[in-house]
Amino acid sequence: MTIKMAEVWKTFGEGHTAVHALRDVDLAGPQGDFTVILGPSGSGKTTLLNLVGAIDDVSRGRIEVNGVDLAAMDADAKTAFRRESVGFVFQFFNLIPTLTALENVELVAGLTMDNGSDRAAAVLEDVGLADRMHHFPAQLSGGEQQRVAIARALVKRPPVLLCDEPTGELDFETGRMILSLLRRVAAEHRQTVLLVTHNAAIGDMADRVLRLRSGEIVDDFRIDDPVSAEALTW
Amino acid sequence: MVTPLRRKLARDLRRHGAQFTAITVTMFLGVTIFAASFDSFRNLQASYAATATEFHFANLTVNGGDVEGFAASVGSADGVDRVETRSSVDIPFDVGGVKLLGRAIGVPVGDQAEVNTLKVLQGTYLETSETVLVEEHMADHFRLTPGDRFEIFEGSDWRTVTVAGVVSSPEYIWPARDRQELITSPDNFGVIFAAQSQVAAIAGGPNEAIVYYEQGERNDALTAELVDVAQGFGASSSYTRDEQASNAALVEDLRGLEEMAVFFPMLFLTAAAMAAYVMISRLVHTQRPQIGVLLANGFTRRQVLLHYLGYGFAPGLAGALPGAIVGVLLARAITRLYTDLLAIPVTLIQFYPATLVGAVAFGLVASLLAALAPALVASRVVPAQAMRGETPIGGGKRSLLERLIPPLRRLPVPWRMTLRGVGRNPRRTVYTMIGVVLSLMLILVSWGMIDTVRHLMDRQFIEIQQEDATVYFAAPATTSEVTALVDVDGVVAAEPSLTLPAVLRTPTGEYETALNVLADDTAMHRFAAVDGRWIGLPDDGVTLGKAARSLLGVEVGDPVSVVVPGLGTVETTVAAFVDEPMGTMAYVARSHAETLVGFDLPATSALVAYADGVDAAALRAALTARPEVAAFEDAKALYSVMQDFMVLFYAFVGVMLVFGASMAFALIFNAMSVNIAERTREVATLLAVGTDRRRISRLITAENLMVALFGIPLGLVAGYFAAKAALGSFSSDLFAFDLFVAPATYVWSTVAILVVALVSQWPGLRAIRRISIPKIVKERVA
Repeated sequence: MTIKMAEVWKTFGEGHTAVHALRDVDLAGPQGDFTVILGPSGSGKTTLLNLVGAIDDVSRGRIEVNGVDLAAMDADAKTAFRRESVGFVFQFFNLIPTLTALENVELVAGLTMDNGSDRAAAVLEDVGLADRMHHFPAQLSGGEQQRVAIARALVKRPPVLLCDEPTGELDFETGRMILSLLRRVAAEHRQTVLLVTHNAAIGDMADRVLRLRSGEIVDDFRIDDPVSAEALTW
Repeated sequence: MVTPLRRKLARDLRRHGAQFTAITVTMFLGVTIFAASFDSFRNLQASYAATATEFHFANLTVNGGDVEGFAASVGSADGVDRVETRSSVDIPFDVGGVKLLGRAIGVPVGDQAEVNTLKVLQGTYLETSETVLVEEHMADHFRLTPGDRFEIFEGSDWRTVTVAGVVSSPEYIWPARDRQELITSPDNFGVIFAAQSQVAAIAGGPNEAIVYYEQGERNDALTAELVDVAQGFGASSSYTRDEQASNAALVEDLRGLEEMAVFFPMLFLTAAAMAAYVMISRLVHTQRPQIGVLLANGFTRRQVLLHYLGYGFAPGLAGALPGAIVGVLLARAITRLYTDLLAIPVTLIQFYPATLVGAVAFGLVASLLAALAPALVASRVVPAQAMRGETPIGGGKRSLLERLIPPLRRLPVPWRMTLRGVGRNPRRTVYTMIGVVLSLMLILVSWGMIDTVRHLMDRQFIEIQQEDATVYFAAPATTSEVTALVDVDGVVAAEPSLTLPAVLRTPTGEYETALNVLADDTAMHRFAAVDGRWIGLPDDGVTLGKAARSLLGVEVGDPVSVVVPGLGTVETTVAAFVDEPMGTMAYVARSHAETLVGFDLPATSALVAYADGVDAAALRAALTARPEVAAFEDAKALYSVMQDFMVLFYAFVGVMLVFGASMAFALIFNAMSVNIAERTREVATLLAVGTDRRRISRLITAENLMVALFGIPLGLVAGYFAAKAALGSFSSDLFAFDLFVAPATYVWSTVAILVVALVSQWPGLRAIRRISIPKIVKERVA
C-alpha cells in the first residue's frame, strides 16, 4: 500500500488564533518501510499520523492511499478504511478495561474476519502473551498492555501500522522490547510502519527518518543499515 | 465580587447544562407537587372547617327513640351550642316523569334551622309549608329553578310541590344517601328540604336530633356523653360529623391529597438527589487534577467541600425556589377548582409561609445531601496524586451474569463488553436502577388506582349486583305483585326485596348499616366469600360485609343483635362474611328473616333484570308508569356515574405518567451522559480501529437498556406494593380498596420506561457522533 501526501496543510482554529500544525507537507513512501517521524512536542508528528490514519481531515492538500484520496471519502468509507487498512498503536495503550487481553484483540478481529478468536490467540502468542491472554488490562504491566495493543493492531493484518509514541509510557528495557517486536512483525508481514516519537535514538532502527519542526519536514533521509532495536540506547 | 471558584462553579454548571437542567427540573417537579398538594390540602381542610362552622354542621346526629326528650335533655348541657330535632324520610319523587327514591328533610318555615343551616343559592328560603327547597345537585341535574314544580309521594298520595329555592347543605356537599350508598346517581337520589310539619307527617314525627358544639378539646368526651344520653332515650343509632356520609367521603378525599403531598414529592426529590449525586460524583472524578491544584495552592479542604456542595445547592435552589412559588400558586388554583367542582359553600385560600419555606428547605436538603458524599471525596483528595492525573481505575472482571451463567462467556465479545459495562460502576448502575424503580412506582401507584377502581366497579356492578334496576313500590307489595313485573315487556326476572336501616350490635361493637332481605335463592345478587369462592345466600344467620368482622369483633357463628327501628331487635348469628367493594351491607334470606320476626314480610321494592339488548330508558318509563311503582333506581346509572368519575382519574394518571417519564428521563439521561463521558476514550479507540459509530451506539444503548431492564422487575414489584399501601390506606367500611393491577398495565408501564430509556439516550448518542478521535486517544486520563 502506497501513501502519498502532497502539499498537506493542517490548521487548527481560524484568523488570529489559527495554528498551522502541518505546513505544505509532501511525503511518499514505498510499501514495507519502517519510517520514524521525529520532532519535539507540537511539531505536528501526531497530526501527520492522524491524517494518514483518516481520524482527522486535512485543511488543504491531498493524501492518497493506494491512489484513493482520503479527503474524498465519507465517514463510512473512512471507517472502512481504518478497519481494513490501518492498525493503531497508541502511547496510552487504550485497551478496553472490561475486556481481557484476548477479548480486546478479538473485538477488533471480529470486525474483519470470521475466525477472529483463533487469529487473536495466535497473534497474542506471537507477541509473547500466550500465558497472559485471559488477564484484564489492570492485571498486566505497561509493556504487556502495549503488546496487547500491538496484537490488536496486527490482528487484522493491516498494510499500514501507525504507532504514536508507543514507548512513551514504558521503561527503557520494555520500550526496546516493544520496538523490536514492532520491527519483527512488520517485516514478517511486509507492513508499512509510521512510528512517531520524540526520542531521536529510535530513529537509528528505521529504514527512513523524517524530522518535523513547526509543522514542516526539515529532514528526510533513508538509513541503509538500521541497527536492531536491541542495540538502541537512550 | 464573584470569586474565581464561584465563576468556575457557574461555568461548570453551564458546561453540563443539560444534565444540571434535568436535575433542576426533577427538583422543581417534586417541590411543586409538594407545595401544591400540601397547600391544597390545608386550604381544603380550612374550607371544610369554615363551612362546618358557618353552617353549624352537626357534630352529632341521633336517630330514633325519643329525640325530643333527648334534645330537651342535652340542650343546656355544658359544651353543647345548639340542638334541634327534625324529621328525615326517604320518599319517592317524580320529577318530570323520572321517579326516584329521594330524601325529604324537615326544616323550620320562615327562619333557618340553627344546626345544619342551608345556604340559599337561588330563590328564597322556605316561606310557606307548600313550597320546598331543592338541594343543588338535584336542582342542577333536573334544571329545577324557583317556581318549578314536581311531585313527592307522601305515603299514600302524590303531592305537587313548588320550588322556593335552591340550596346547598353541609350534609350533602357530596350527595351520598348513607355510608352504604356513598356514590349515587342524580336519577336515583336527590334531597329536598320541606316544612318540618309536612315531613313529620310522613315520617310519623321527629326522628332525628342534630347537635352542634364548637370545636374544642372536650369534643370526644362530650360526644361520648351525648351518645350515652341518646341511648337512654331509646336512640337506634347515632353518627358523628366524621362518620356522616358526605363528610366521610370528603375526608377520605382529603386524606388522599395529604398522602399525595408526601408520597409523590418523596419520589421526585429522591430521583433528583440521585441524579445530582451521579453527576457531581462524575464531576469530582474528572476534576481531580483541578482539585489537586486548588489544594496545592492553598485552598482549604473546607473551601473545596463548600465549592462542590455548590453543585448540589445551585440546581437545588434553582428547582426548589420556583417550584415552591409555582406550587403555592398552583394550590390556589387547585383549591378554587376543587371547591367550585364540589360546590363547597365556603372557600378559604390562604398563604402559608411555612409551606413555602418548607418546600424550599426540602429541595435544598435533598440536593445538598446528594452533593455531600462527592464533595467530601473532593475535599479528601491527595494533591500530589491528583495532579499526576492518576485516577484509580477499576480492575476488569467478568460480569456477575457470566459468573452465574458460564455459557454467557461464549457470547460475542461486544456483548460481553456490554454485560461487563453494566457492573463497571455498580453504584451508578444501582442508582439508575433505583431511578427506574421510582418511576415505575409513580406510574403503578397512579395506574393501579385506575385499574383497581375499574376492577372494583366491574366486580360490584357486573359480578355481584345482577339486577338492572330496583323498583320501589308505593305500598308494601305481595310476592304476586312483584312477579307481575315480569309481564312488562323486556323484564325477564323480578325478585322481592326489602331494605331496612339496621344497627348491628355485639358485645364489642355497633355498626349502622342497611339490612337487605333477599329471596332465599336470589339470582339478583351474588356473594363472594372472603376466600374468593362464590357462595349462595346462607339459609340461617346474617351475612355481613367483611369490614364488619373487625368493626363488630365477630367471627362466623358468633351471635349478633339486629336492631331495626320500628320492628324491634332480633337475635341471630353471623353466617358468612362477603367481599364486596362498596359498603358494608348485611344480607339475610327472606325465610330466615320471617322466622326471626315471626310474620310474613312484605316487599318494599323489587330487583328486576332486563332482557339482553333492551332499551333501558324505555323500560324505565314503562315500569315507572305503573301506578304501584313509586320510585326507580337504575343500577347501571350508578355504574355510568362512576365511569364519568374515571375521567378525573385518567387526567390524574396522565399527569403522573408525564411526571414519571420526566423523572425517569432525568435519571437515565444523567446516568447515560456520565456513562458516555467515562467511555470517550474507549469509544474513540473503537472508532480509530474501524468500528462504525452505529455499532458503538448500539452497544452503549444495549448496555443502558440492560440497566433499565434490570430495574424494571424490581420497579414492578416495588410499584405493586407501593400501590397496595397507598390504596390500602383508603380502605374502610365505605370502600374495600383491594389492589388490582391489570397484566396489561405491567406491560405498558414496562414499555413506557423502555421508551423513556431509549429516548433519554439520544443526547448521549449525539455526543458520540461529536467525539474527536485524535484528541481523545492522545489524552492521559479519559
